[in-house]
Amino acid sequence: MENAATHEDWKVCFSELAPGLVLFARQWVRSAADAEDVVQDAFVRFWRRNLSIKNRALLYAAVRSAALDLIRRDNRRARREVEVFGDAERTVQPQFEQLDDSQRELVAALDRLPRDQREVLVMKIWNELTFAEIGEALGISQNTAASRYRYGLGNLKKTLRPNDEAGAAASASTT
Amino acid sequence: MNDFSELEGELKKLRPARASAELISRIERALTDAGESADNIIRPQSRPSASDFRISWIGLGLGLAAAATFLILARVDLRPGDKTKAEPAGNTLASATPTLEQKAAALPNYQPTGLTQVVYGRHDEGLVFPRGATGPARRVWTTKRETLRWRDRETGAQLAVSYPAEEVTLIPVSGQ
Repeated sequence: MENAATHEDWKVCFSELAPGLVLFARQWVRSAADAEDVVQDAFVRFWRRNLSIKNRALLYAAVRSAALDLIRRDNRRARREVEVFGDAERTVQPQFEQLDDSQRELVAALDRLPRDQREVLVMKIWNELTFAEIGEALGISQNTAASRYRYGLGNLKKTLRPNDEAGAAASASTT
Repeated sequence: MNDFSELEGELKKLRPARASAELISRIERALTDAGESADNIIRPQSRPSASDFRISWIGLGLGLAAAATFLILARVDLRPGDKTKAEPAGNTLASATPTLEQKAAALPNYQPTGLTQVVYGRHDEGLVFPRGATGPARRVWTTKRETLRWRDRETGAQLAVSYPAEEVTLIPVSGQ
């Protein structure tokens, strides 16, 4: 992705970042409408403070903070979210365009990941943040962000291709 | 060692859904309502740390003036010699936050021996924009248990008071 900071018009910047930001916001809220509310809130606050859009870690931290604020503001919503996260440690499927069957399976597996791993994957793969930026946005170390990313990919692989794991284990035991 | 490149490639093929066109117009309205032109330019800042966190000289001046006024008033009000010349020297002055010695004053034979703070929970609540602050900050919620201990000088008896406490800390975030 081209660095959004090179564009001067906020609409151009935002159009590039919006799909990833909304996808990121959906890690905490159930509906796309809520996610867009969160992104709007965060972006407007970010803009009004004249913060540099080049500082992506701060922008994503602002989105995360706005999402948590939204949950806190509505107790009923908070209870519902806590129940959802507590029971299944999952949110609704992130929305992607034009999915075929194998991609739907991939998205379902992604949805079943623990939230801390999934949010790192979303930031890394679809928002192209560095581990340093992810760490700064989430308040964790760069190494922890990288570990969560690897664990997330490992878990995805295990879910999608359990036979690979079994086969690898079998071949290791026979050699 | 696992190779995730194939899986990463498959994930990157997934395209996040586009945000609605309405979202951009809503943001535009919000920016306009705030008295800011939506046609403003986002200028990448070469040194955000310097420009994001400018010193407000007026605020600093007012703050210093308020602090000086407070110190002058505190000196006038709490000067013991003016009002209590007959009292013996060594009286402790009143303080907003009682010290261990002051708390132990009610127990003349007890000597404070320690204050323990055990932090058993710390939760980073994320980024906040405190009203009036010049930059964003992280809000960290700390739950802890404080224990005050005294010891009787004569008998050696010990007294401990323990209570739960919560603390909210705002840690300024520096821009990069």
